[in-house]
Amino acid sequence: MKAHEFVLALFLVSAIAIAGLFYYFFLSSRQAADGGGVSNPTKKRFFFFTALAVVMIILLLVTIPKSPYFLFTGENPSKVVYVAAKQYSFTLSSSAIDPQNPVSTEAIELPAGQPVEFRVTSLDVNHGFGIYNERAELVTQTQAMPGYVNRLRWEFTEPGTYNILCLEFCGAAHSFMRTTFTVK
Amino acid sequence: MLQGVLTFILITICVASSFSKPGDYSLTEESRLYTKISDVELATAQGRFRLSEVYGQSPVMIAFIFTRCSGICSPFLLRLNENIKALSSKINFRVLVVSFDSADSLADMVALAQRYGLTANSQWLFATTRQINELNTSVGFHPVWDSTKRQYDHEALLVGVNENGYIVKKLTGIREPRDLLVMIKEINNDFVLSYPLPRKNMLFSCFTYNPATGEKKASLGLVVLLLPALITLLLLFWFSLKKQEANRAS
Amino acid sequence: MTTLSLKKITSAWIITILALFVLAIAFGITMRFNQGANINLDPAKFYSLLTTHGVTMIGIWAVAGMVAVNYLLARYVPVSTSLNVFAFILTVVGVVMLWVTTFIGHFHAAWTFLYPLPFYVAWEKWATPVFLLGLGVLGIGWFVWAVGMMLQILKKYSLRHTFAWQHLTTKHDVAVETPPFILITTVSLIGIIVCLLAAVVLLVLFFAEYFSSGSFVNDPLLMKNLTYFFGHTLANESLYLGLATLYELMPEVSGRPKFKTTWYVALGWNCTMVFVLTAFFHHLYMDFVQPVGFQMIGQLASYFASLPAAAVTAFSVMVLVFKNPIKWSLTNILFFLGVVGWLIGGVGALIDSTVSNNIFLHNTLWVPAHFHTYNAMGNVLFSLAFFNWAANEFVGNQNETKSYSLKIVLLLIGGFGFVLMFYFAGAYSVPRRYSVYPQEFTSAALLASAGAWFACIYLVVILWMFFDIVKKCFKVFSPSY
Ligand code: HEM
Ligand SMILES: [Cu+2]
Repeated sequence: MKAHEFVLALFLVSAIAIAGLFYYFFLSSRQAADGGGVSNPTKKRFFFFTALAVVMIILLLVTIPKSPYFLFTGENPSKVVYVAAKQYSFTLSSSAIDPQNPVSTEAIELPAGQPVEFRVTSLDVNHGFGIYNERAELVTQTQAMPGYVNRLRWEFTEPGTYNILCLEFCGAAHSFMRTTFTVK
Repeated sequence: MLQGVLTFILITICVASSFSKPGDYSLTEESRLYTKISDVELATAQGRFRLSEVYGQSPVMIAFIFTRCSGICSPFLLRLNENIKALSSKINFRVLVVSFDSADSLADMVALAQRYGLTANSQWLFATTRQINELNTSVGFHPVWDSTKRQYDHEALLVGVNENGYIVKKLTGIREPRDLLVMIKEINNDFVLSYPLPRKNMLFSCFTYNPATGEKKASLGLVVLLLPALITLLLLFWFSLKKQEANRAS
Repeated sequence: MTTLSLKKITSAWIITILALFVLAIAFGITMRFNQGANINLDPAKFYSLLTTHGVTMIGIWAVAGMVAVNYLLARYVPVSTSLNVFAFILTVVGVVMLWVTTFIGHFHAAWTFLYPLPFYVAWEKWATPVFLLGLGVLGIGWFVWAVGMMLQILKKYSLRHTFAWQHLTTKHDVAVETPPFILITTVSLIGIIVCLLAAVVLLVLFFAEYFSSGSFVNDPLLMKNLTYFFGHTLANESLYLGLATLYELMPEVSGRPKFKTTWYVALGWNCTMVFVLTAFFHHLYMDFVQPVGFQMIGQLASYFASLPAAAVTAFSVMVLVFKNPIKWSLTNILFFLGVVGWLIGGVGALIDSTVSNNIFLHNTLWVPAHFHTYNAMGNVLFSLAFFNWAANEFVGNQNETKSYSLKIVLLLIGGFGFVLMFYFAGAYSVPRRYSVYPQEFTSAALLASAGAWFACIYLVVILWMFFDIVKKCFKVFSPSY
């Protein structure tokens, strides 16, 4: 199962569990008489809290190392792509982009199976830099903030045409701001 | 005579402009990144090495200069030396100063080292090479000989090479310690997620680099970010103090 | 003491908030139909609606919490009606200013007005300063009001007692008991004060740049941090105000003993106060320029902010209801369902606040999915519960006889159907804040239309409640009352 689907499934299962539990609590109150209620609630609360805390800590320990900040850091990218976002287009180039005259020189082609690096900035407002695969799944992303260059490293496993969509609201034509590159 | 005056004026302008914009980031910094540096043979006072023997031991920063330079080379080396001295010595890297002028002899380089008092400093290495064109090309450095000025027209260039011989960071011009720190991190394979672009000085920036520790340091902007919580705390304490006074009075 | 003037101003608030709510939902449905390609708005028009919807919704539900808390606070300490009225007037003025900028000035930089977008003017020139000023007007009204309430609480309770620190000691002979309502109200008001101050700083920096004509420039990173410090915190504190109301009213209308402040309640809420102030860092996960330490704090704070929420509040509601005879009414069923919506939205939030998930969820529809869950199906229900209770209070009759089951069933279908369409689209990477969807998102438009239709059902229920509640609220103004 892919991460997207896993996350959706996890959410739906939890949501249904919560809804089911509370429905059960609700039903239990309908036939209840005085003097019912939870026995020994403080103890149960403590167990509940502890269990939840343990789960959270495990989740933290598992997920934090997978944060994008720690991915591919010791590796040598095989290619650098410079990205300058500007209302409402992206300039992609394999050489550094002159802010005064941002031009994409050639179509970008990246190798599959090797780490590559995107150096992403914006020349006006905040933009987003979201990379989508051919199935329109968001693979990875970073923000394009004016004044800073964000370095996004990634290794594409599948060859194909990838779309870049703007993922930070940047004005009326935000949803039309896009470009593509290929992975071979 | 006229030629001499013109040369003097030109050089003055060159030097002045390089000083007026220290820390200028140039787009040429971004060329040849993540490519392997050419493994040239170096001649040094300690003997002949291949470049790979130098970076194979520890990451290295390579400064490109020539000894006859009447322009940027000496302020460049001076600042580099000062900045490195200011940094903590624990950081793992070496500095290789290499001449890109084939007229420079090893003796010239040794004299240069002496002038900066770096002869005995094992972190620094002064070298010439017979394969300078190859080296220049591999790092994307293009000095141009100006026969009127009898000088090379060139930018100050520092190239950061990691232990595998890959160019991971380049700095052009005379730069601040914080830029140097980014290079030191990078050549030690410590990934720096983001870097700022040159821009107008901002009063309330979030972070500046602390040259002493190599960490990002809170600057005025962070104080601004803390301000709301601080003011609220102060308000609370002020209220409760006032109340205590009122209680005591009554 | 609940005075007549307090009832009047509370009625005025309830009527205004519900009217604005109905309009804002209508804008929301319009947007969703546009995303569903059922209608075709000009993108600038769409984003004007988005801006209006966002700023109105955030505003009214923050203020609804304040209204409720103010009304109930009168049971414990004297409250100033004039501050309440002052806030009401400034809120109305502020909202009018904001709507004028979006509808007449075509301002559309979204309610987060992320720097430097408002300076890239694609609307009437005056709209940018008036929008910022409008926010300032709202902020001042609420700030003064919040500080006023805080002062009243501190007049009666010492600092130690407002935070219920005496309950944290092992000695059980607690001389002064801090009611949970006071504790949670304090915690929330402090949060509100902090985030309004952040807004002030943000606005000052905006205006400094605006009037300096280029000699003063802001740091986009600092501005983004401030934006979410303000925005995220305000949205969260609104919910906590709703919970304060729940703690006070839910046992009461259920015919059960009041909630007590115990050590874990005190500890939980004190922790929440701290965590919630740093959780906003999760809005900047994809800004790699933010120091990694802050990113880690963001995930830690987001995770641990949910612990006291679940182990204290949700568990207490469970204990209240489980196998206990409850007098169910519309009021407490709304509270009860609000808790469910809040928890489900919380799960969605928790998933998104994990950095390794955020990389493919950030700025997708997953974000509006989870915050609409804990707003439209959480906080709104807490406030509606209060509105319903207050309206009954105004007419002096808490024993409603009308059946509410159809309302509830429709509310659940409409509300959860609406947010579920967001979740599906979000999991499949459909970006948020898109006026129309690119073709490659094959089912995005369909999901949007479905969401819009579900929202229509939700709107019907809201209108239904609106008439019931408002009818009673108007009674307060009649001369014979
Ligand atoms: C059933 C009623 C509602 C409908 C139909 C609705 C609809 C929408 C839609 C379509 C969007 C744009 C989503 C996107 O593409 O990014 C949106 C955004 C938003 N909604 Fe709602 N919404 C409803 C209720 C609420 C409530 C109760 C709140 C309370 C706080 C709220 C607050 C917001 C906010 C803050 C945004 C973000 C605006 C932005 O991105 O700038 N909405 N809503
Ligand atoms: Cu954009």
